[in-house]
Amino acid sequence: MSGLNALYNNAAFALRLHAAAMAVLQEQASTGSRINRPSDDPAAASRLLGLSSQQKYLKAYISSIDSAVSTHEMASTVLQQMASALTESIVRLTQIVSGTYGEGQEGQNARDRTAAEINDVLEQMVALANTKYVDQYIFGGNNTADIPYAVQRSGGEITAVAYCGSSENRSIEAAPGVLASISLAGENLFSSDSPQTPVFYGSTGAKAGTGTSTIRGQVWLTVTFDGSSYCLSIDDGATQIQVPTEGDLSNIAVSDAAGRVLYVDASNLTSAGVEKVTVPGTEDVFTALINLRDLLRNSRGFTDAMLADLIKHSSDSLESVKNSLVEKETLIGARVNFLASLKDNLENIQFNQQQEAAMIQEADIAQIAIDLSRRENLYQMSLLVSGKLMSMSLLDFLK
Amino acid sequence: MTNYSIGLSGLTAAQRAFEAIGNNIANAATEGYHRQRLELSPAFSQNPGSTVFIGGVNVEGITRIIDTLLEQELLRQRSVLASLSQETSALGTIEAAFGEFADEESGLNAAMDNFFTSLQNLSAHPSESIWQNQTVSAAQTLAGQFRYLGQMLTDMKSRLKFQAETCADTINLLTSQVAELNSQIERIKMVGGDANSISDQRDRYIARLAELIAVETIERENGVIDVSSGGLPLVTGASANRIEAGYADTGRLGISILGASTYTTAIEGGTVGGLLTLHNRIVAGIQEDLNCLANSIIQQINQYHAAGIGSAGSFTELSGISLKSDQLSDIGCVTDGTFYIRLTNTVSGQVSRHAITVNAASGTLNDVAASISLIPGLRASVNSLNQLWIQADSNYTFDFLPGALPEPTMVSFADVSAPSVAVAGIYTGTENDTLRFTVRGDGSVGSGSLQLEVRSRDGSGDLLTVLNIGAGYAAGKPLELGNGLTVALSVGSLSESSGDSFSIDVLADSDSSGFLAAAGLNVFFTGTSAADMAVSRRIEANPRQIAVSLGADGHDNINSLRLAAVRDKTFSRLDSLTCSDFYRKMAAGIGEELSVRQTQQTTAETVLLDLTNRQSEISGVDINEQAAELLIFEQMFQAMAQYLNTIKTSLSNLMDIL
Repeated sequence: MSGLNALYNNAAFALRLHAAAMAVLQEQASTGSRINRPSDDPAAASRLLGLSSQQKYLKAYISSIDSAVSTHEMASTVLQQMASALTESIVRLTQIVSGTYGEGQEGQNARDRTAAEINDVLEQMVALANTKYVDQYIFGGNNTADIPYAVQRSGGEITAVAYCGSSENRSIEAAPGVLASISLAGENLFSSDSPQTPVFYGSTGAKAGTGTSTIRGQVWLTVTFDGSSYCLSIDDGATQIQVPTEGDLSNIAVSDAAGRVLYVDASNLTSAGVEKVTVPGTEDVFTALINLRDLLRNSRGFTDAMLADLIKHSSDSLESVKNSLVEKETLIGARVNFLASLKDNLENIQFNQQQEAAMIQEADIAQIAIDLSRRENLYQMSLLVSGKLMSMSLLDFLK
Repeated sequence: MTNYSIGLSGLTAAQRAFEAIGNNIANAATEGYHRQRLELSPAFSQNPGSTVFIGGVNVEGITRIIDTLLEQELLRQRSVLASLSQETSALGTIEAAFGEFADEESGLNAAMDNFFTSLQNLSAHPSESIWQNQTVSAAQTLAGQFRYLGQMLTDMKSRLKFQAETCADTINLLTSQVAELNSQIERIKMVGGDANSISDQRDRYIARLAELIAVETIERENGVIDVSSGGLPLVTGASANRIEAGYADTGRLGISILGASTYTTAIEGGTVGGLLTLHNRIVAGIQEDLNCLANSIIQQINQYHAAGIGSAGSFTELSGISLKSDQLSDIGCVTDGTFYIRLTNTVSGQVSRHAITVNAASGTLNDVAASISLIPGLRASVNSLNQLWIQADSNYTFDFLPGALPEPTMVSFADVSAPSVAVAGIYTGTENDTLRFTVRGDGSVGSGSLQLEVRSRDGSGDLLTVLNIGAGYAAGKPLELGNGLTVALSVGSLSESSGDSFSIDVLADSDSSGFLAAAGLNVFFTGTSAADMAVSRRIEANPRQIAVSLGADGHDNINSLRLAAVRDKTFSRLDSLTCSDFYRKMAAGIGEELSVRQTQQTTAETVLLDLTNRQSEISGVDINEQAAELLIFEQMFQAMAQYLNTIKTSLSNLMDIL
């Protein structure tokens, strides 16, 4: 037979075991979690920690995407407004070209009014290009702190608009390994960079040379003749390039003090004069509006017919600029769609991971209740049996 | 008078039995008591000749009912359980201190996540103070968490040593008691006495010893027991050897005979075994992993940070951290190499780059300061705290930006009307290189068939690309090189026959020596381990100094993207895992060790219970059994008394007859 101590040891051990098990079950019931520390289930704990981290990162990615989408939607709105303003300007120009407002002084008065409207549109364009969103300039590329477009004025009117921002877009990580732009470089949006062969609008006989010019938008080529040779200038005579009288004249480099160069085929020059030279594919909205406004005011004294022709060509340039803006708006729209789709994917992943975490961590309350009840019964049974066994001995029966 | 002898022997035997039974009952609940039994044998007397007559009962003695093998197994199991209990308790403390799952934002995992997320958010708003402050705050939380855990583990090791010393003192007390009792037992046994109670007492002390340290016992003659542990003799006969806890030459905690100073660390079992395992392996391992993790984050973040600039721009002055020595060999993580300082003249706009060679083996901080001071526009010095300080003269700023300078480092154009070359962009390549641009063809930029051939390694390497700068190229337009950089040529004439070419030095890493981070120049974190990790005071004081950019204008967010990407970078010293994965492995490992030990502890408790029950079965006191024996001997005494009375009456009758 076992000694008294064995009874006590067994009873104490069983009671301790059941009490410890009940403590664990009670903790799970009160926290609702199956895992309250890594030792409860190390493998599951490691997975839960990983899921928790990924949830945080997904939340940050979604927030980044929201920022990028907001910026792009703002940019799209700006481009829409710009295109709309340009469309109205083109309509006015068409009326000018068609002679709706008459000729002579009446026509000039109409052109002056239109020039004033173009000037207003220009101011509006500059303001739109310098749009801020959440205290950041959205068209300055990487540089969101400084104003991207700076203007030069003369007599209160804008004479030049220069891009001061960065040529690099600012990118952020919108998803693992996926970069998305959160700001846009205005010089890539509001101007084109697909230069084609320069087009000469004049009667001097000058044509485009074989070299690639650096002129963007348009320039006025001044052809003068001093009796023995021609001179060419693209800065209204400040810098004169003399055309040789012999040799290859098909690719004369006409440069100015600012470093711009226009390659001219001077082999068929017939007369002096001023040529408007445009470089298709290099227009920017601001320069186009400035040139158009100045052309409407006819400071160079063109004839009505020539002026109408030049205005027609400028209108075509403006149409080209508008189409470019619409095209860029479409690209931005596509980017917004991509980001929205990416966000949907991330939110799906986020939901699935939340589900997985819940499955791993959440305690089965019904099972806990059953287990707790079972343990309580065993605990009480241990107490009862121990009490019965230890309360009797032979001494009770000896007389 | 044999009859009277028989009667007296019976009465004596009964009385001795009463003593033994009474002693058993009195000690029924005494821990470590072994039931004692009266040994009886028939007595005989022999007359001269060959006839043997029975002569009553002899009391041979009182023996302890004990199973020696069982007792030794019990000692071993107590040692195992005590060791497991100690380890489980400490691991539970460590797990609680790590605090994972306490709530969503507690623990190092959440701190690391928040830090890297803050860097990710900063990349979207690199120049905004709110996000800069948030990054500093998250970094401070991360560093604070590392310091807390690092200090906790250091304190724990100190406590473990203190506990080991306390245990050694207790062991010394117990062994002296065992030696004293050995002496008493030997004396008693030598004169043929019973030393059962003293033996029980000694066995209790040895059992207590076994809980403190795993012991091996050897029984010698006259009941003496020698006790040793892990090769250390604790008790030899009547003498005890005192032990002490201390550090071996390897820095590991061990036990040595007092005064010998040869500490053995291979003690297993018992509380002391548990303490040594905790100190030398478990806590040391966790501490090493934690320090490795902290150091990896510190080093990588600092390496990227040192090369960048913040929204505050380039520096006019910069000071490093206080180092323990002027010798570069005493500074960790510095190797032979070069770091580059970029100097900008803010008036003329001219930018130059200067290489500073670092000799890790024999160089000093003062050597580096002297090299820097040779650069016109810069001054450097080292103070008494071994802090390197760099200052730019007025109209100069400096930084450590990699990439390319805005102009070529070498230009060889023969014609005076040659174009100018402008370099822009942020280099995204992974290696430092020199790109050689060689002109092909003769003519003017923008016309003809002029080309630029681009080769790596200053012309001796691979052909990277051929750029058209003739017809179709508008002078001044940036040409993509495919590595984040662009070059633009102005109007001018070039000639292949004259050997026109130019070179651009591109840096992916502006510090191949690790000096900048080690010296604390433009770093984000200070410290080298978990216990001393902190955010640089310069950054705390001015969060605009957070190096978010790699471009000279300080507008880009490339460096903040790079810093945020450290989250996904694997480190060879972290088992080729990312920081987060390594930490999760560490935290799960602690949980795994604790869980295994809890299971082992339950198993050991069950085994110990079985053994204890078996011991109770063999050596324990059953009240029922003792009551039954008492009844038997009581009746025996009564019978012997009646016998003696009968003998007396018979003799009286005989005397009456006579």
